[in-house]
Amino acid sequence: MTNRRHFLRSSKALIALPFLESLGFTRFASASAGAKTPPKRLVFLGFGWGVTDESCVPDRNITGPDYELPAGLKPLEAHKADFSIVQGMWNQFSVEGHAGSTWWLSGANKFGQPGQSMHNSISADQVAAEQLGMHTRFSSLQLNHGKVDSNSGHGEGLSMAWDRNGKPVAGLDDPVQVYHRLFSNDETPIEEQKVRLAEKRSVLDTVMGNAKSMQRGLGKDDNEKLEEYFQSIRDIETRLSKEETWIGVPRPDAPISEPRGGMVGKEEVRLMYDLLVAAFQTDSTRVITYRQPSGQGYMESIGAKVHPHDMSHYHSTRGEKLAASQKRDLTNSGLLAGLIEKLKSTKEANGSRLFDNVALVYGSNIRTGHELTNSPTLLAGGGAGIKLGENIVVPNETPLCNAWLTLLHGVGVKAERHGDSTGLLKEIVA
Amino acid sequence: MNPIFSRFLRLALLAGFCAPAWSGEPNATMPEQHRALLKDHCTRCHNADRQKGRVRLDDLPFEISDVETAERWQKILNALNSGEMPPEDEDPLPNDAKTEFLDNLSNVMVAARDRLSDQGRTGTLRRLNRREYQNTLRELLGVEMPVGELPADTGSGNFDTVGSNLFMSANQFEQYLALGRHALDIAFERELMADEERYWRYELEEISEKVAKHVEWQVDAKDRAERWVAAVEAAAAKPENAEIVAKLREQVNNKEDNFRRLWAQIPGAPSPESFGFETVENNADKAHAARRAYWLPYHQYYLEQPNIDTGMYLAIPTEHQSVLENGAITWAVGWSAKTGGKWPSGNYVIRVRAALTGDGTPERRFLEFGVNPRGSQALSVHEVTGTMENPQVIEIPFYFGDTDTERADRTLYIREKGTHDHYTVTRVLKNEGAKQMEIGMGRPYAMWLDWLEMERIPDSDRETPPGLAALESFPLDEKSIEPAPPVEVVRELLEGFAMEAFRGQEPDSTYLDGLIRNYQSRLAANEHFVSAAKDSLAIILASPMFLYLTEPSPSPELRPLTDIELATRLSYFLWGAQPDSQLRELALQGELSKPDVLAAQTTRLLDDPRSRRFSDSYTYQWLGLDRLDFFQVELLKHRRFDNGTKVTARDEIYETVDYLLRENLSVRNLLRSDFVVINAALAEYYGIQGVVGDEFRKVTLPSDSPRGGLLGMAAVSLMGGNGDETSPVERGAWVLRKLLNDPPPPAPANIPQLARLSGKVLTTRERLSAHQEEAQCASCHRRIDPIGMGLENFDAVGGWRTENTYVVTDDNGKPVPGKETTWTIDPSGKLHNGPAFKDYFELRDILVLKQDDFATGIAEGLLEYALGRQIGFRDEKLVNGVVAEAKEQDYAFREFIHAIVRSEEFHTR
Repeated sequence: MTNRRHFLRSSKALIALPFLESLGFTRFASASAGAKTPPKRLVFLGFGWGVTDESCVPDRNITGPDYELPAGLKPLEAHKADFSIVQGMWNQFSVEGHAGSTWWLSGANKFGQPGQSMHNSISADQVAAEQLGMHTRFSSLQLNHGKVDSNSGHGEGLSMAWDRNGKPVAGLDDPVQVYHRLFSNDETPIEEQKVRLAEKRSVLDTVMGNAKSMQRGLGKDDNEKLEEYFQSIRDIETRLSKEETWIGVPRPDAPISEPRGGMVGKEEVRLMYDLLVAAFQTDSTRVITYRQPSGQGYMESIGAKVHPHDMSHYHSTRGEKLAASQKRDLTNSGLLAGLIEKLKSTKEANGSRLFDNVALVYGSNIRTGHELTNSPTLLAGGGAGIKLGENIVVPNETPLCNAWLTLLHGVGVKAERHGDSTGLLKEIVA
Repeated sequence: MNPIFSRFLRLALLAGFCAPAWSGEPNATMPEQHRALLKDHCTRCHNADRQKGRVRLDDLPFEISDVETAERWQKILNALNSGEMPPEDEDPLPNDAKTEFLDNLSNVMVAARDRLSDQGRTGTLRRLNRREYQNTLRELLGVEMPVGELPADTGSGNFDTVGSNLFMSANQFEQYLALGRHALDIAFERELMADEERYWRYELEEISEKVAKHVEWQVDAKDRAERWVAAVEAAAAKPENAEIVAKLREQVNNKEDNFRRLWAQIPGAPSPESFGFETVENNADKAHAARRAYWLPYHQYYLEQPNIDTGMYLAIPTEHQSVLENGAITWAVGWSAKTGGKWPSGNYVIRVRAALTGDGTPERRFLEFGVNPRGSQALSVHEVTGTMENPQVIEIPFYFGDTDTERADRTLYIREKGTHDHYTVTRVLKNEGAKQMEIGMGRPYAMWLDWLEMERIPDSDRETPPGLAALESFPLDEKSIEPAPPVEVVRELLEGFAMEAFRGQEPDSTYLDGLIRNYQSRLAANEHFVSAAKDSLAIILASPMFLYLTEPSPSPELRPLTDIELATRLSYFLWGAQPDSQLRELALQGELSKPDVLAAQTTRLLDDPRSRRFSDSYTYQWLGLDRLDFFQVELLKHRRFDNGTKVTARDEIYETVDYLLRENLSVRNLLRSDFVVINAALAEYYGIQGVVGDEFRKVTLPSDSPRGGLLGMAAVSLMGGNGDETSPVERGAWVLRKLLNDPPPPAPANIPQLARLSGKVLTTRERLSAHQEEAQCASCHRRIDPIGMGLENFDAVGGWRTENTYVVTDDNGKPVPGKETTWTIDPSGKLHNGPAFKDYFELRDILVLKQDDFATGIAEGLLEYALGRQIGFRDEKLVNGVVAEAKEQDYAFREFIHAIVRSEEFHTR
């Protein structure tokens, strides 16, 4: 047992070195990494209730770079060459017109498991986190809208992320909390943290002992089978070792100041966007999702007085509901333009723009009127080798998961498939 | 599952062998006759000198004995299937020769892959699969654990008992740890609450009272809305407002409702809020809705019914469930005020007193019961036979777990079958119902319900589960104020529990030290000693000796199983769970391996209700019943096959197989039988008279019935289609796979599509005939399609039909006018290289003649399931032996099982 532990400790020390280096202890993550190629990052931004059909979707008939930005996307005009709109995708199993995010990144079938009322599978960000997360303190970061934002149209879940078992991953809903998670050192006594880890290890030791005594007398094939069990235990050890590695490692200096508490609506989104950039900039994580506010609180903050659910049913009466829907789109587009601007102006250690190493997805599973086809999708950033600056129309009923798979490959995660994907989406590859 | 003999047999015959029995290893060999085709069409470019495309075929061995040769042949298969070879400027292959070549090659490739992946005759150490894990916890602790988070362990193409396919991961280990801990929590609680009684009764006239209240509200709201409208109109009519009113009216195109939504801009117009419409959404809209009060007459009609003061009538739903409950009864257990407080997990019974009103059409006499009203699939369907004079009490047994924490998962419902499947169906039911109503809306009430009750069945009579018995006097209550037992005692208890969990294997002392260390560190962290002990017990339930079934054998030589190992094998085969005390006792005494004792125990295990877990899981995997959930039935087209009927149709398959097992009847009955095993709901669907009640029972069929046997079952028809149309290809392939043990090779990729037929008005047979034009298609489809066409009299949901219609649809799925054809179904055909048949009945008779092939398929599947390993060509003698023994008993189901349990392979590893 000592040997195994010893081995893990030493191997952990080996793998730990690059993080320490990339953390830098100086100012920012990559500062000391010198001219190294910056890592790839992936971020998904989801906005619940979808977008206004009439004013936020480019003309399907004018594809390629010469399309005209519809009114709802006008605030993004300055960045038009740096993002693409993809039309025609959907999740074939989506049945919930009130859930813009629950199955957006997983492509799962809610009723896919007989006898179970709610089923989901791993979301694309978590697939990426399994690989990209090995090198950072946080495998991934889940941002979430504040609790006051009721009726947000995102659907079930605790964030946009769902783990490998299809279980919801909790999200952080307060910018202040996010700031401290990223940049404030753990106040729990180190000793206490170590005791907790030691207990978990003790459990592993016990079952490992049981496996060893069972191993006696097993033949070759059986031993190979039992090896899977040993491997599982070792995987957990590795994870605990990672946790242990970061105990006592100081967090990077914050490139931004501590946000003010109690912000809602537009301000909340702006703060979360700033934190998102800061997290990437310090290489605290490489995978982020953000379930943006789009409910009651958000609508109020932009001065629209309609009920968010009511708003997406403007078909018969139009009027103020349509106006509110359009106002929300404009606000969202303006915020996104700010984020893109920030990503562009943030420099990596090797002098490149952070924007060029980020793959950004902005969208929802639903659009106006709870429609589940042609899910609104905007792709930006140079991190995944995606074609930018175009209105891309793919065949109707193309799985969203094809796009996610393509992005995963683009950031170096070689998943064979994802969700209900049927292949890569070559139309979006530059 | 791996019908390897028939495939080898067919190949051998094609290749010119005469004897079906081999001595030694059979070869996956391409028949010699095809050498000429390679020579004539391929080797001119692909030879030693001209290796065009770096492919050389002149030295290609016809016997596939290694992976490299297999890959070379695979390339040929791919190139021919995709049409890539021969190139366009070369002579095409003669169609017949190509068809034969592809037919043989695709089968040889399957045989070669089997052979190359063969693992010999030993199984691998295997983890408990998901259902065995669940069963084992149930036996050990008396709990019903939801295991949905664990991988299903199916879907590998083998049965879920095949050890080599059962994997483990870090995540899964943590799930076992958490599930084990949770199982202990529930088990302890359930034992503490063994005597706990719970009873709740819902007098359903409460629901009628709500209707009355709602009508009162509707009348009042309508009046308020009228007054608000009048007030807005009055303000609008004021001369001083004329200008603004004209502008507003123009803005909304003179739509009155939309105009009034702008009330705030009309000076002097009152707000809808001032008339009591106060919601968070647009209240002008709410006022307009209240003014319309569309369903008011139907609700008032409800109040005119004679028995609303003692019960309720099930109506077609008109309002959201939170407003009116007469469309369905729902109750959230332990959630709402109605059923407040914690309901301990355990067995419950739900009773409902029900009667037919006489106002519904005859088929409207079924209730459906389920969990999670929006999840749409009911758990069970219940026939109502009671009358208003003499209502009946229906009992529904139900297990309630404390793990269902979501409100939806704790919400139970009872409603009329088929009324809540999909909103489009509900809408049609309303339209049809309106025609039967004098008031021109709603639907007549078919059923009246008096009361509903839910009662917990105390566990006082149950035998203490062995896992809990092993803990003897250890306190189970985490609030216990007793002092913790001395650590030696805890150690002994942990040891006893581990022995039980490990199926008799002894844990070593280092392991127990570890458990105690963990226990003590928990105590040191101020955890209660009961909880601390549970943590250590949970570790036992995540330990390999619990999770894996071992038969240690350091050398590759076969050895006889010990009696204990034999007991474990037998009980996991027939119960999917660990041996009970009787079986273990016999094993410890060395009695079990005695043939008569073993046979008697096999019979005992089969007679025990727990063998249902074997028949259900075997049937599910054998027949591929997961396909039943691949498609949503096109409910508007197949109105009678509603979701409740689907639940019953699925059960028919399980119940029939189980009936054969219980009565030890011939498996031939699955090919053709003069009876069905059905209940009232299914009899209604099949149009069979005189079947009353919900339990499945044997019902003798008239001689001309197409039912009787798997192919006559609605659920089997459903699997052979997409829930809308039939798929003769799917059905033909299913028959080849499941009934004739002659599966077609896997469908090749990149076959050129038959696009030229799209948009044409063709019958099914005409469309399928295109398969015969191209060799790539014909090589398999000549075997598949005739069988599928022979089943065309069954529609997509198993109804019997004599005509079929095809409608051409455009890109949006809309029918194209005039592009439609209807024809009388012609099921006649001829099996490839086999007899002709004129209709379904003759086809069925031909299948019965092939009962030996069917039996071989069953024997192979059962062997794979029982031995936990793939059955390969080395097992030929074993399979033939089982088939022969079963055949002596006319293929009685249990004979297969007895023959397997008797076989040497079942006793060795």
